[in-house]
Amino acid sequence: MAVLPTVPPEAPRPAPGVHLRRLWSVRPASDREAGDAIVANFILHWFPARSLKESMEWRYSLWLGTISTALLALLVASGIPLLFLHIPSVERAYGSVKDIENVVTFGSWIRAVHRLGAHLMVAVVFLHLARVFLTGAYKNGVGRGQNREWNWVIGVVMFLLTLFLSFTGYLLPWDQLAYWAVTVGTNIASAVPLVGAQMRELLLGGRAIDQPTLTRFHVLHVIVLPGVLGVLFAYHMWRIRKDGGLARADHATRLPAPAEVPAERTRTKTYSLLGVARGQGPLIRASSVERPETTVSSVPDLTRRVALVMLGTVAVISILAVFVPSPLEEPANALVTPNPAKAPWYFLWLQEIVTDTTIRIGSFTVNGALVGGVILPGLLVALLVVWPWLDRSPAAAAGRWFPRSRRTQNAVFLVIVAIVILLTIVGTFSRGPYWHLYWPWQAWPEMPTRF
Amino acid sequence: MTSDRREFLKKLGIGVGLASVAGQGLASLRSLVPNVSYDAPTVVKLGIPAEFPEGMKFLPEQRLFVFREGNVFHAISAVCTHLGCTVRAEALSSPVMKKVGGAELRLTHRFLCPCHGSQYTGDGQNVAGPAPRPLEWWALSVAPDDGQLVVDLAKPVERSFRLTTA
Repeated sequence: MAVLPTVPPEAPRPAPGVHLRRLWSVRPASDREAGDAIVANFILHWFPARSLKESMEWRYSLWLGTISTALLALLVASGIPLLFLHIPSVERAYGSVKDIENVVTFGSWIRAVHRLGAHLMVAVVFLHLARVFLTGAYKNGVGRGQNREWNWVIGVVMFLLTLFLSFTGYLLPWDQLAYWAVTVGTNIASAVPLVGAQMRELLLGGRAIDQPTLTRFHVLHVIVLPGVLGVLFAYHMWRIRKDGGLARADHATRLPAPAEVPAERTRTKTYSLLGVARGQGPLIRASSVERPETTVSSVPDLTRRVALVMLGTVAVISILAVFVPSPLEEPANALVTPNPAKAPWYFLWLQEIVTDTTIRIGSFTVNGALVGGVILPGLLVALLVVWPWLDRSPAAAAGRWFPRSRRTQNAVFLVIVAIVILLTIVGTFSRGPYWHLYWPWQAWPEMPTRF
Repeated sequence: MTSDRREFLKKLGIGVGLASVAGQGLASLRSLVPNVSYDAPTVVKLGIPAEFPEGMKFLPEQRLFVFREGNVFHAISAVCTHLGCTVRAEALSSPVMKKVGGAELRLTHRFLCPCHGSQYTGDGQNVAGPAPRPLEWWALSVAPDDGQLVVDLAKPVERSFRLTTA
């Protein structure tokens, strides 16, 4: 009987695609380890293995998208305890918010975090949209198979969702602001021709504002809208990879390479370091992008910055929330409309235009609710959505602040933004009782608050 | 033949799948359209006519102004025709006579909306601000059983409407 030689047992090798390290290394020892950290990690694989230095510049993107993400995460986190504490019933909602404010330990702080986060998110998401517009980042650059227009459209939808989330959120305390905001908001919906009345009934769950209304807005606020926003957010991130990174990457390909590039570096590949290309061609076959000097490992250079921005956002909100109290108006009272009844700041420009746009031609009248509440904002949104297809500027304008070739459209965009800001300021500071104009230094007349 | 059947079954599968998703979607959406209204009734008893004060009385529950001049009554809605806020009545320093619907009417108030600044004269005519229409006039009647004043908040009437009680 032959005796087989004893073989020392081999250490088991990991299966292909399996990575042994449980958590990524904050300080990877090698490029391989840095790349592994991206591929092996559920969250990090949003990111490319290597990132372009220029795309990470603070002054290019201002990191507004990352701040928005941090705010969304913070809103979900602070929303969960509020969800346990808030009672979505017309009899008890106001009392439960009052309890959160005055009785629950840390309640007022959590509510302030949630409220400030929401206000800031509206502002930051809008600024992010403005940044993308002004830098022409919705434009396709040199890569094949890019569809940045669609990511812009997704972004516009996410901005609208952010606004609708705020709208549904401030109804939940069921105070006077809530009640009259639903009244005005749903009446704007009913100004839509043909289907308006049915839309209002669907939103309210009846013909008057009551328990079904609160239930519907509550469900929209805590499940439907965050769910849709979450899915779109994931898609938004994925599309950035599919489109070859930020538009800044396309801009970078046009810069002269800092040094002579060895020939083999420019050969075509099906994979770019910056993204996965559609089709067979290279995504970006530019030497200046793929040179090791222009890119860094995403771990830790990109992840460190993302972590810094997120920490910074959370810190700012957490500290602000200690000092800025959240208002709670009187309980909802169907019998008395507050005077003046103001929308929150991000809707005040709309309140201004529904005031000013009732058109009279002879005996024929068009309600300002239709013109200012439906047609004008609808037109603005439609313009935003189709703009990438109307923009005829060269691809070279993508990924740069204020390029000459996009001077006119950037100017028009800024003028529209300035008008909206101006109307917001007028609505905030100059509108008094009965929506009359008052200078900020003028005293408002004494008004009876009750009959 | 077999490939035809395969093709047919594939299309059938896709079709059934889409139809079931669409059906579920429509059913879910339709379930949210209320079939029963638990809203307050639109025909409301307001009280004995003789107990109404001379001039104007505001009824917040019904969002209604009831006017009395002797034994003549009329009622104007307090719902702004712009976006549905409740207008507020402001007494005029001196009453104004105005021909409303063929008859002289003594206007003692005007109406102002706190939401977007619409203004109405005492007969509900819109005169300033974004309001597109005059305030509604609602039908008044006397209940046959107990003689109370009754308003129908779903029945608009001409501005010539006056209810004269016995």
